Formats: sequence, C-alpha cells, structure tokens
Amino acid sequence: MKKILTALTLSVLAATAAQASEGHIELKKSDWSFTGPRAHWDTMQILRGYEVATQVCISCHSFKYFSHRNLTTAGFTEDQAKALAGKMDMDVNQKLLSGLTAEDSKETYGLVVPDLSVMAKARHGGPDYIYSILTGYEEAPAGVDVGNGNYNKYFPGHVIAMPAPLSDGQVTYSDGTEATLEQMAHDVATFIAFISEPERVERQQMGVYVLIYLVIFTALAYVLKCAIWRDIKKKS
Amino acid sequence: MNKAMKWFDDRLPIFSFLDKQLANKPAPKNLNYMWSFGSLAGVCLMLQIITGVFLAMHYKADVNLAFDSIQHISRDVTWGWLIRNMHMVGASFFFIVVYVHIFRGLYYGSYKAPREVLWWMGILILFLMMATAFIGYVLPWGQMSYWGATVITNLLSVVPVVGKSIVVWLWGGYNVGDPTLNRFFALHYLLPFIICAVVFLHLWALWTSKSNNPKGIDLKKQTDWIPFHPYYTIKDIFSLGVFLIPFTFMVFYLPDYLGHTDNYIPADPMKTPPHIVPEWYFLPFYAILRAIPHKLLGVIAMVSSIAIMFVLPWLDSSKVRSANYRPIFRQMFWLFLINVFVLGWVGANPPEGQFVVIGRVCTVLYFLFFLSLPLVSKYEKTKPLPTSL
Repeated sequence: MKKILTALTLSVLAATAAQASEGHIELKKSDWSFTGPRAHWDTMQILRGYEVATQVCISCHSFKYFSHRNLTTAGFTEDQAKALAGKMDMDVNQKLLSGLTAEDSKETYGLVVPDLSVMAKARHGGPDYIYSILTGYEEAPAGVDVGNGNYNKYFPGHVIAMPAPLSDGQVTYSDGTEATLEQMAHDVATFIAFISEPERVERQQMGVYVLIYLVIFTALAYVLKCAIWRDIKKKS
Repeated sequence: MNKAMKWFDDRLPIFSFLDKQLANKPAPKNLNYMWSFGSLAGVCLMLQIITGVFLAMHYKADVNLAFDSIQHISRDVTWGWLIRNMHMVGASFFFIVVYVHIFRGLYYGSYKAPREVLWWMGILILFLMMATAFIGYVLPWGQMSYWGATVITNLLSVVPVVGKSIVVWLWGGYNVGDPTLNRFFALHYLLPFIICAVVFLHLWALWTSKSNNPKGIDLKKQTDWIPFHPYYTIKDIFSLGVFLIPFTFMVFYLPDYLGHTDNYIPADPMKTPPHIVPEWYFLPFYAILRAIPHKLLGVIAMVSSIAIMFVLPWLDSSKVRSANYRPIFRQMFWLFLINVFVLGWVGANPPEGQFVVIGRVCTVLYFLFFLSLPLVSKYEKTKPLPTSL
C-alpha cells in the first residue's frame, strides 16, 4: 500500500513539474458565470459580449459556428434573436461571418485571422486566456523588437500580430453599462465561451443528477454485494 | 429453462453455453477488486463501439468537412455533445482500465503456464487498441490530429529499403491528406470488431485455463471455487459503479481535460504546432522512442517495449506466480511501475536537457526489468506457498 502511495505521489509530482516546465505565462483569472456549482449563462452579459463581437471583432474575425438562433440557448427568446439578426440585416439561421476574406487577411496581417467560434476551447485557459490577451497590451519593454507585431504580456512569445482591438468607450452598450476595457474584455470572453460550447451550462447541470444517481446505484450495489457474499465470508 | 427456451437450446445451445461459461463458471473465491478490471475493459469496449456507431452516423471523413462535422455533432445533433464526450473520455478510461488489468496480470503472474496464450491475446488486444486509438485521434482533423498522424506514420519510413513506399501506400499519397483520412475512418470502424474477435479468443483461453488468483496457486479443493454468478456478477456491478463515477465526472465537467487544446484548431499543413504530443496513454512509449538517438533503433525499441511482453512467460521461469511470495520480484514490480510513470512524464516534455538523460536511464531500466527476470527467477528465494485458500 505504501508503495502504491509513493507511486501515486510521484506521478502527481511529475504532472505538476511537467506543467511548470512548459514555461507558460500565468494568466489573469476572472470569475465567470458559467463555472462553479451555480453555473448559468448571464443573458445580459452575453448580449454585451455579442455587441462587442458584432461592433469590433467581426471586422476581422468570423464566428462560423454561430447563428443568432443559438442565442436562445442562453435565455433569449426567439423574437429577441430575430430582432438582433434583423439589425445586422441577417437571417436568424445565417452564420456570423466577417467581411475580411482569407486572401485580404493574409495580405494585411501576414496570416489568416482565426475564426473565434471555438476559441475558448482552442487555447489553454479558455476564457481566462481571451480576457488576459484583450487586456494584456503594453508598450514593448526596452530592447524587445516586435517588428510589425504588437507587444502583449500574455501572448506566448509576447509578439502578437493583432493590434490592441479594444480601448475604453469603444462600444456603446445598449444597456447603458460603461464600456471600460476590462468590462468589454470580460463580456466578449463570456460571449466566446458561450459560442464555443453552448451546451456547457446544460451539461454541468445535468452532470449533478447523473452523479447523484450513480452514487445511489453504487451504494445499493455495495449493500447487495455484501448480502450475497455473506455466506462465503462466514465460511472462510 | 422453460419449454420454448429448451426447444431453441436443443437446436442452437446459446443458453446452455451462457449458463456453463458465464453463470455457473467456477471462479476462485479469493479474487480481489483488481480482477474487476477485466469485465470493466469489456464494458469500455462496448461503450466505445455504441457511442462510436452513433458518431459515425454524423461524422464526415473529408478534410474539408471533418472538423465542421465534429462541431455539428457537438452543437446540432440531439445529445451529440454527450455521445462525443463519452467517446473521448471513454478512450482514455479504456486505457486506464487496460493498463491496470495488465499490471495486475504482471503482479500476480497471470502470464505464466498455463495462461501464456491468454496473455498473448491480451497483448494483441493492446496493440490493436493502440492502433485504433491513434487512428481515431486523427479523425477530428485538428492540428494535433494532423501532425500526430504525420509524425507517427513517418516512423515507418525507417524500415530499410521499402520504408518510404510503405508510408506512401499508407497515406494514399505523398502526405497525410484526404485519402489518409478516409481510410483511417474505415479502419477506425473496422478495428474494434477485430478487437471483439480477439477478446472472444482471450475469453476462450480464460475459460480453458481458468482465472488465476491473488495467491497464484493451482486450486485443487472443491471449496476454493464459487460460481461466477451471482458472486462475481454483483462484485463487478459494484466495481462498475465505482468506475462510472469518475468517468461521468470527466464526461460532464472536464471533457477536454485529457485532450489537447490544439485539436480545436483546424488542421493546417502549413503550420507546425510548437510541441507535437501524443495522447497521454502513448507517452511512456513515445519517451522510449525519443530516448534513442538513432531513428530506426528508436522505432525498434518502442515496438519491442510492448512486444517483449509476448516472451515474458519464458523470461520469467519462476514457478511461483504471485508477487506476494516473491520478495525480489515484488520490489522490481513497483520500481517498474514508477519507472513507467516517469517515462510518461518524460514523454510529455520536449526532448531537451535533463529529459534526455532521464528518458535514457528510464528506457534502460524498462528493458532491464524484463532482461533480468531469467536471473532473478533462478536465484530468488521465494516464500512458502499455501496449498489451498
């Protein structure tokens, strides 16, 4: 038993050491409505994030797995989703695509701008990563040559092609919230987390019931096991 | 058996077969919970096949559509996200279960006579599982799918003379591309059924040579045996519950934890990811591959690290099966287990600095475990064995 414990401790140590040695950058951690035991989609925040996405991000980034109908999963009514789509001159089932084509993108930025609709799953840290990047632009420290890029505290390698996309007051929120950089970054990170896994909240809520069921099932199976084995245990 | 069942059974004796081989099969009465991992592996295989069949109904094996079709499954297919998460997490848990099952066999000497062929079938299943899992990871067509496939299939190019031709034949072209994806999908659907066939042979060998037990002795007394049902059916059902709790937790709360975030970036042949890492269950073998500076020898070492288990029953000639009665082998077993974990850790890290040294030392230790067994089994002083339970 002692040896099993030693082996386990060693493997845990190994795992932590593996993470530490990757030379990764500590991201800013934020509170998200969709994590923890009371996970939910904050409809107003998703609306604000949607406003940032459709007023700022969309000029370069597409959201190809998102259509306005998806908003109903986050608590919007079908009419609200249709109204928002209408404001963009879009059908409720239409994909949200940027006007920037891959060719233009390549010419302007030297790379194809990534689609954002699974971004919260495609980077370590997910929403924390998005939030950190958006608020992580700084003057490059003396001696760091960023070339045509920009300096970002949280980007791996620190030189990012995307210029700082958000600045205070850039978006006009329909609910009157003050559009600070922090606020916009947090809202749009929530929006991207939502479109990356719209099922996330449903999944987390359902998990509780499945786990409760399994714990009861396992406990009953154990009681039954003991009852069936009683005569064998007695004999030996 | 009622009349109708008897009529059927006289013509096709399925019921008496099930009765004889499963329900009333005598099993040693002292099997511990480590023996539950065999039936758990069976459950995992079924789970992968059932979820896999449903995924295949919505998946598209085309380089332009594959990534999108996975998103379609997660977003639009009814319960698609649940089925996909179960399949993804299920693959990892299948390997956890099978690795425990193998280490149990190693500890209690289940590979020894008369169970050598039973053991062989198990190793064969492991090889087939690895092939299936590797191919399956290519299907989502993310960055890690593409580059993992490129790196691993390229290993075959080291085969002398025909290596390059084999790789082109396997790819169906001059790089990993649409033909590769298409045939990988076909193979990923085929291999599980071949695994099922080998599992049947594995069970057949088990029914013939009967279960080993924690004491590792041949049980002669009638009272040492109990019927499989209900004793081990209920024990295995309880074990299944214990297994399903962490499994379910991962499915609902950390479905991507054991995967790699890069696989949510669509495959891009023009852009190599900074670290190409295989799935966690390949890491120890990946470390062995990279420990050897010569490409061909590295591939040979990696394949041998598993293939050596085919000859394990002859490397270890000790008549005593269970490590509980073998003081030296027992110590070696635990060191070997720790060594495999360390190899996994090395495999997860880039091959530089200390990791190269540690990887090489651990690779030597890995093979030393097997190669020292002929001597150990000859000179080891074993403890006296009981004659019955």
